[in-house]
Parts: sequence; structure tokens; C-alpha cells
Amino acid sequence: MLEGRSILVVEDEMLVLMNIEEVLKDHGCTRITAAATVEQALTVLDTLSFDAAVLDVNLDGESSHPVADELSAQGIPFVVSTGYAQLALDDSYKNQPVLTKPYRDEALSRALTQLLGR
Amino acid sequence: MPDADEPSEKQNAAEADVEGFRDDLGPFVVAADATRMAMVFTNAEEAANPIVYANQAFLKLTGWSRDEVLGESFNSLMARGASPDALNEIEKAVAGSHDDDPEICYRRKDGSQFWASLSVSPVKDEQGKVVQHFASLVDLTSFKAEQATCKLLIDELNHRVKNTLATVQSVVRQGLKTSTDPAVIRESIESRIFALSRSHDILSRENWKSAGLHDLIDASLEPFAVTDGRVERFNVEGCNLRLPPKAALALGIAFHELATNAFKYGALSNDAGTVSVFWKVQSSQSGNRLILHWREKDGPEVTPPTRKGFGSKVIERGLAHELDGEAHVEYPPTGVVCTIDIPVPQIAEGS
Repeated sequence: MLEGRSILVVEDEMLVLMNIEEVLKDHGCTRITAAATVEQALTVLDTLSFDAAVLDVNLDGESSHPVADELSAQGIPFVVSTGYAQLALDDSYKNQPVLTKPYRDEALSRALTQLLGR
Repeated sequence: MPDADEPSEKQNAAEADVEGFRDDLGPFVVAADATRMAMVFTNAEEAANPIVYANQAFLKLTGWSRDEVLGESFNSLMARGASPDALNEIEKAVAGSHDDDPEICYRRKDGSQFWASLSVSPVKDEQGKVVQHFASLVDLTSFKAEQATCKLLIDELNHRVKNTLATVQSVVRQGLKTSTDPAVIRESIESRIFALSRSHDILSRENWKSAGLHDLIDASLEPFAVTDGRVERFNVEGCNLRLPPKAALALGIAFHELATNAFKYGALSNDAGTVSVFWKVQSSQSGNRLILHWREKDGPEVTPPTRKGFGSKVIERGLAHELDGEAHVEYPPTGVVCTIDIPVPQIAEGS
């Protein structure tokens, strides 16, 4: 299901990002685009198209909810990846699958597969 | 219509009560007026339970003037600024059916709010009849604010811990890819965990506000200087630029990767090699930039690696991504050169 897909990964911690990228590569995703800030994410969303996204909630102290809103507006399904307890999430992330860090590689691939099968 | 200037019968009665109270408890009233705890006494013998005394602290806390309070029923005065739920708590406290002192939120006359703990005790006469109620309010506003700050800090700490665990997960994954030899894998994982830990130490010393670039590099190189026994093989030059925690952690890992590589294959793998690290802040059209160079020399002749290892990936991919700049590692025969060009990381305001 993930083979040949293009995925946007919005994550500011470099080591965590590298882990996510490798999991996606191992599952055959061909185009993986990374963004570390809200601004970067909105810029790539303006120019590129994606099948799905992995979205961190806190980007160096800044909430990623504008990115969540833009993803929803474009109809791009996304997985929320967060170090916060689920209770702390605001409405922009509602109805999206949430992965609480740290999570297993399989949890990420399963969540994305489910999103793309919807 | 009663004349507005003429005191009503009710007011007259209340004033008589107040005077009586002052006469009975003269020296106590003086003391009560000086204390910071908000206090009122009510006349429990009257059905409305009117307030016969309110001290300065009570007036200051609630914003009501003495005239607006005296003679007024305690419950209806409370009803002016409390939510129905809070009022229910207050009524229970007055009725004596509360085990603990309830914490209530009350709106002052000017609309602003405060939190207080309310304690109501009955004052009884010789026959055991309740003649007065003594109510005191302990202002909890600053305590509540501190509690909120603590909760925020704990949430942040939890967030940081979770992220750190995810980072360690990534370190383990990378370590498992480096080799099939358990000893090599262990060394790869451990040394990176210790590198993260050293950066944490520096940040903890400074309450997670910032870390100095010079301090950070010294800490990253320290294990290699100790192993080597000669600190003079490093030449570190530049100002102790303050870095926010995130940039400090990312750069800490990058320096660790560079030093590890130098120790295994580069300038620190023989007796003669040296490493120079120097940086400066340059102004440009896009704002101030930090330009940092890592330069090795007099090590064994360098042959470029056939595939990019974790170290160069962390620097060229990770660091550039996380700090929104550029970073390159080059392998000329004379020694590894790494150049990092990033916007000067800004420290969050207020920290």
C-alpha cells in the first residue's frame, strides 16, 4: 500500500526524522519530503502534491496546527506523531490517527496503510 | 418610597450590630484589620446572616467597600461574584456541612477573578447556640498561577522525555545498521547516548535556557581529548555564542560524529594530526549567519568513504534540515573539512 507513495514528513528533530524516513523507504515510499517548521511545510504544500503526511505537533515550541488545517483543506490524510499525551491535542488534529512517541516502526506503517486504504 | 438619604430600619439595625461587635472585641478588631488574611464576622442570630464586620484584607481582596458589605447577607454578598457551583460550596460551608475548606473562584467588584480557600466556623455562646459565623478567605491566586506553571513545565518535561526516547530509538536503529559485530554496535549506540547526555548536562546547568557554542564543542571533544591525553590537538576558536536547546542538541550530535570519525580514521587516528574548529557570525541579507569550520590536518591521507555513513548523513541531512541551513562534509586527501552555514539560532524571548 505504501509502495510508490509520496509522503510529507513534518518533524523537527533530525534523528527522529531520519528514523521515520528509513521506515518509509523500507516500505517502498518513493518520494519523501521533510519539513522542520510550519513555514517550510506550508511552502512545500503549496507546490507539491502528497498522498499522505506524518505530522509532529510541536515544532520547536511552535504548534503545527496551521499545517494540520492545510492538510485537511487539501484532503491529504495524515498521521499525528507527538510526544504529548493525547489529551493535549486541539481540534485541528481531531479524527486523525495519533502515534505517541516513541512508537514502533510497524505502528507508523500500519497507520499510513490504513489512511491510504480509506 | 423611603427617602434614599434616610437610613432604613434594616441599616440601622445592622449598624447597631457593627457597633456592638466593635465594642465587644475592641483590641481584636485592631489586630484583624492589620492582618493579611481576609476575614468577616456575621450575625448568625438573624435569618439573613448579615455581615457585622469585614477587615481591610477582605475589602481589598473582594474590591467591595465597607459600606457595600456591612449589613449585607453573607450568602448574597458571595452570590454577587461566585458561580452557582461555587455558591453551592459556600452555602455548604456556612451550613457547616463541608469537611474540607472549599476552594472557590470569586469575581471582584471590578470583574477580575481570584481563587481563595474559604473557611467558615461557627461562634457559639455559653448555651452552645450559634451566634456568629467567622469566615476567612486565603488568597490562592499566586498559588494557582504557580500550580499552572508547574503543570506546564511537567507537560514540557514529558514531551522532552518522549522525544528523547524516540531519538534513542533512532540511534539504536542506526547502530544496528553499522555492523554485525555486537561490540561495534554497542560502542556506536553507547557513544551517541553519552554524546546526547553531555549536551543535556550543559543545558541542565543553564536551566534549559541555552548553551554556549564553545562549551558545547569542548564537551563534545572532551572524551577524545581524554583518550588521547593531549588537549592541544584541538584548536577551538570563536565566541561562546548562546544557542537554544534544540540547536545545542543537534550541534552536539554533529560534533560528536565528526570527532568520532576523526578518532577512527582522521586526524586523531595518528600521533601528529590536529583538528581546528573555528567560527564567526556574518551578517547577510537573510540576517546573521553562523559560519563554522571543522578542519583536520596532518592525519593519515584521506580516502573518501564509498557510502555515506550515519555521521555525514546526520550532518548534511539532519543538521541542515533541523537548523534550516547548509552543512557539508568533504574528504580532501589532506584532511576532513566540514562547513556549517546556518542562521544564528535565536533564543526564545523571555528565556
